[in-house]
Amino acid sequence: MLPEIGHFALILALMATVLQVVLPSVGVWRGNFALTQLSRPLLWMQFFWIAVSFALLMNAFLVDDFSVKYVAGNSNTQLPSLFKMSAVWGAHEGSLLLWALILSAWSVAVSIFSKRLPSEVLNHILIILGLISIGFLLFLLLTSNPFERLDIVPMQGRELNPLLQDFGLIIHPPMLYMGYVGMAIPFAFVLSSLIRGQLDSTWLRWSRPWTLIAWAFLTFGITLGSWWAYYELGWGGWWFWDPVENASFMPWLVATALVHSLSVSEKRGAFKHWTVLLAISGFSLSLLGTFLVRSGILTSVHSFAADPARGLFILIFLVIVVGSSLGLYAWRAHLMRSSHQFAPFSRESGLLINNILLVAAMLSVFLGTLYPLLLDSLGLGKISVRAPYFDVVFVPIMIPAVLVMAVGAFLRWKKDSISRVVDLIIHIVFVILTLTLIVFLSIDNIFVVLALFLFAWIVLHSLTLLVQRLRQKGKPNMAFFGMIVAHIGIAVFLLGATVTTQYGVEKDIKMSLNETVEIKSYAFTFRGVENLNGANYTGSKGVIDVAYQGEKIATLRPEKRQYVTGMPMTEAAIDPSFYRDIYVALGESLGEGAWSLRLYYKPLIRWIWLGGLFIVFGALLAAFDRRYRLKVRIGV
Amino acid sequence: MTFYLWVALMLFVSVLWLMWFLYRPLKTNAFNLEKSNIALGRQKQVELKQDLQASLIDEQAFEQANDEIAQTLAMEMEHTTDITVDTQKNVPLWLPVLIVVFLIGASWGIYQSLTSQSIVSAKLEIAPTLTQSISKIKQHVAEQPNDAEAWRALGLALFEFNDTKGSLEAYQRSYELKPKDVAMLVEYASTLATAQDNQFTGRVSTLVREALEIDENAPDALYLAGRVAVNAQQLGLAQKLWQKALSLLPEGQPDKAILQKMLDQLSKVQGGKKPISSQEEPASKLQVTIKVTLSERLRQAEFSHHYLMIYVKAARGRPMPIAIQKIKLKDFTGAVTLTDDNSVMPSKKLSQSSQVLAVARLSKSGSAMRQVGDIEALSQVINVRDNPTIELLLK
Repeated sequence: MLPEIGHFALILALMATVLQVVLPSVGVWRGNFALTQLSRPLLWMQFFWIAVSFALLMNAFLVDDFSVKYVAGNSNTQLPSLFKMSAVWGAHEGSLLLWALILSAWSVAVSIFSKRLPSEVLNHILIILGLISIGFLLFLLLTSNPFERLDIVPMQGRELNPLLQDFGLIIHPPMLYMGYVGMAIPFAFVLSSLIRGQLDSTWLRWSRPWTLIAWAFLTFGITLGSWWAYYELGWGGWWFWDPVENASFMPWLVATALVHSLSVSEKRGAFKHWTVLLAISGFSLSLLGTFLVRSGILTSVHSFAADPARGLFILIFLVIVVGSSLGLYAWRAHLMRSSHQFAPFSRESGLLINNILLVAAMLSVFLGTLYPLLLDSLGLGKISVRAPYFDVVFVPIMIPAVLVMAVGAFLRWKKDSISRVVDLIIHIVFVILTLTLIVFLSIDNIFVVLALFLFAWIVLHSLTLLVQRLRQKGKPNMAFFGMIVAHIGIAVFLLGATVTTQYGVEKDIKMSLNETVEIKSYAFTFRGVENLNGANYTGSKGVIDVAYQGEKIATLRPEKRQYVTGMPMTEAAIDPSFYRDIYVALGESLGEGAWSLRLYYKPLIRWIWLGGLFIVFGALLAAFDRRYRLKVRIGV
Repeated sequence: MTFYLWVALMLFVSVLWLMWFLYRPLKTNAFNLEKSNIALGRQKQVELKQDLQASLIDEQAFEQANDEIAQTLAMEMEHTTDITVDTQKNVPLWLPVLIVVFLIGASWGIYQSLTSQSIVSAKLEIAPTLTQSISKIKQHVAEQPNDAEAWRALGLALFEFNDTKGSLEAYQRSYELKPKDVAMLVEYASTLATAQDNQFTGRVSTLVREALEIDENAPDALYLAGRVAVNAQQLGLAQKLWQKALSLLPEGQPDKAILQKMLDQLSKVQGGKKPISSQEEPASKLQVTIKVTLSERLRQAEFSHHYLMIYVKAARGRPMPIAIQKIKLKDFTGAVTLTDDNSVMPSKKLSQSSQVLAVARLSKSGSAMRQVGDIEALSQVINVRDNPTIELLLK
């Protein structure tokens, strides 16, 4: 009975959302105060029923209710309780329910923490968010009901994809969804402004902290996904330009452009067109990502929902959202006039160039992701666009973006002189060029030299700027510190990614018992294989001693698991450190005690995720800037 | 509390919540859009001054930016259209009625339309919808009389409906069309046993045997075979079969607890006797002979006190040995023969296994778990039923 109650709760949530859209709209139309003020209580009701539905689905997993098709398909009695809970979002229906819950939670947060927004504006925003919720709740109820029952109840459920039986996957999807769904908030702010015909300071000021928080979650979700792929997939890579990874990266690039564009629009009233278009495209790309993953047109570890009906639903939803928002934009474009003027050499110009580069980078990823799908759908053959394309197209766009990013922060608003800026940074440039020359003479890898140059470029510029601002009168705000931290995060990421790619060593080898292989002064000695018995798997565990310059530093135990359902799985063993990772994955038994092994030496790989965490921290610092917590004084 | 009461409660809570806020609306905050924009314009001017102090803008640009803030504010005021709402306006009486009707009617209507094609209602209200289900299946088998699955479904539905005779006829049709379906054979045997006042004899016994011939590891069939054995007073055999079923069921499976309970009861009935399997049943003649050849290096004296463990383990599933012999290398004669006597667990004997792997492991410690430094050789998959002889080389 509980699954039926969960299903009914979902329908009640849909009804609450329909009323959340209709009644306040009627209230505005008829000038009825009581009806306009119903948007918040109805939103809370929507959240409550979705939360009830989610809790009941989780309960079905925890009590092994295999009469529920979704539970029987993704869990079994042997699955540890923690993974039973995360199995709720381990496949299509549950992850969609999580999506709806997070969207509702974001909306509730907006309704509670936007007390400085005039009620009329907040009501409009909640109506837009309600319309988006209706789309997702209908999607759930019509095509992806997680509470569907089975005719004949199986004695045992199926195995949850072993790849998903991991701590990283417990938190990666919710964090990524927080980012994806969070992009609905700036979108709703923009659309409500377009509908009201008031693209004003209120919209710009109050949408920025929400955008920053969504961007922080998106960054965190992507960083977690990269970390998980590294240690769980057993390939030792941290980014594969997988179409689904790209699907999350595209909104991130646009969101990055949006937070910068918003800063100009908010302070100077410029770039309103840009800001509106970026907010629309940010959320549209989030929906596109959902379409790519859920329609089943992509084949990757993420595409667990190959269902054309679902794909068609999201495609129609996407067309409605993009079409109507762009239509609104065209209708209201004349209202986005700005009296703001700025010189070609100014902070505004720097931010504009950066925005253009970020959007160009997003388009390069967009092309690389969708072009193969387009060719395939037109019957023109199958092609695979992978790292070489992105190395050639994406990376050259990002290098000038990074250069401009560091210098742009030194520029003045409206106009500046080249000579002033040169005077400010000449000594930094001199130091960097000298260091680069020294590095160039001692390192023969041009990519690493370039990465070191860019790292020094960003870090030295950021630190110089920090020192300058601290010496000036007036305390810098949190947004400034957030910017410095996030920019240094980019530098840390960039150096880590380049060094690990260029200096990382990978060896796929056969190792006999007690055989030793040396990689970069690290000696790997294969000590054999032990039997492995887990809660829901058996398998083999390799024993590899690692020594550095003759001294043993670690014993690594990579696993090769065989889950009860027969699914094999590799669990790499890693000896992590700030400077390098030693990574071992167990391959196949080759007989007579010999095994195939994959040994990796990964210098500075942790810096990739450390950079991501810096960006998250920077974004949160900026989001909680005092300006966004100030009470607007009325009638002063 | 039934499902309908829960639904009524959920609707009641929703309606109550809605009505509360309809008649006691949330207070609006003190400022409108115009005031908000004016306040933000002032704040932007303050921030502009801070930018000037921080040298983020020069004097001339500052004046210009200050003017622009004023101009922007003027433009915003020009476009601000106040939405006037009457805070005193009453809610017309028909509106809450309409809302309640919509909430209840639409939510229940949607629920009904979404669940009409599923069996949810059959689970909630057994009698009427089970009848509908049966008539639907009957209609289906009338149109497609060769659909064995449908006959089986009809058998199950009629059994649930207490029509045992009709159920047995349906199962018989399914059996004639698809006699190798283990799940059907198990259901058919269960229904037949129910019809015979729980006597697991005659045709029931035949059906269970057929099921086990198809899949000797089907837990349901093993359970029924145990019931057949109990009926025949072969308690030892029953114990053996249920232990096997128990070992095949995954951890945490609810049926496992039931089986364990039955085994406990069986032990009490046996009065503490040892499992009959070791007393009453004839010993199996199945065996696996494993010849192990040692490399020149391993024949050295230093290995003579190492332990040689020769065993078979299941080709799939748990890696622990089924039957094993452990001897010191100095005592090894070149071959061992594993039989049921070498089985590790009484519930999982060598003769109960089919596809296995033979393993020879030389170990200094003699530990059951493989240790670093152990030397091991593994065979291809072999079938115990063939009484095979295989050779392994340890290097």
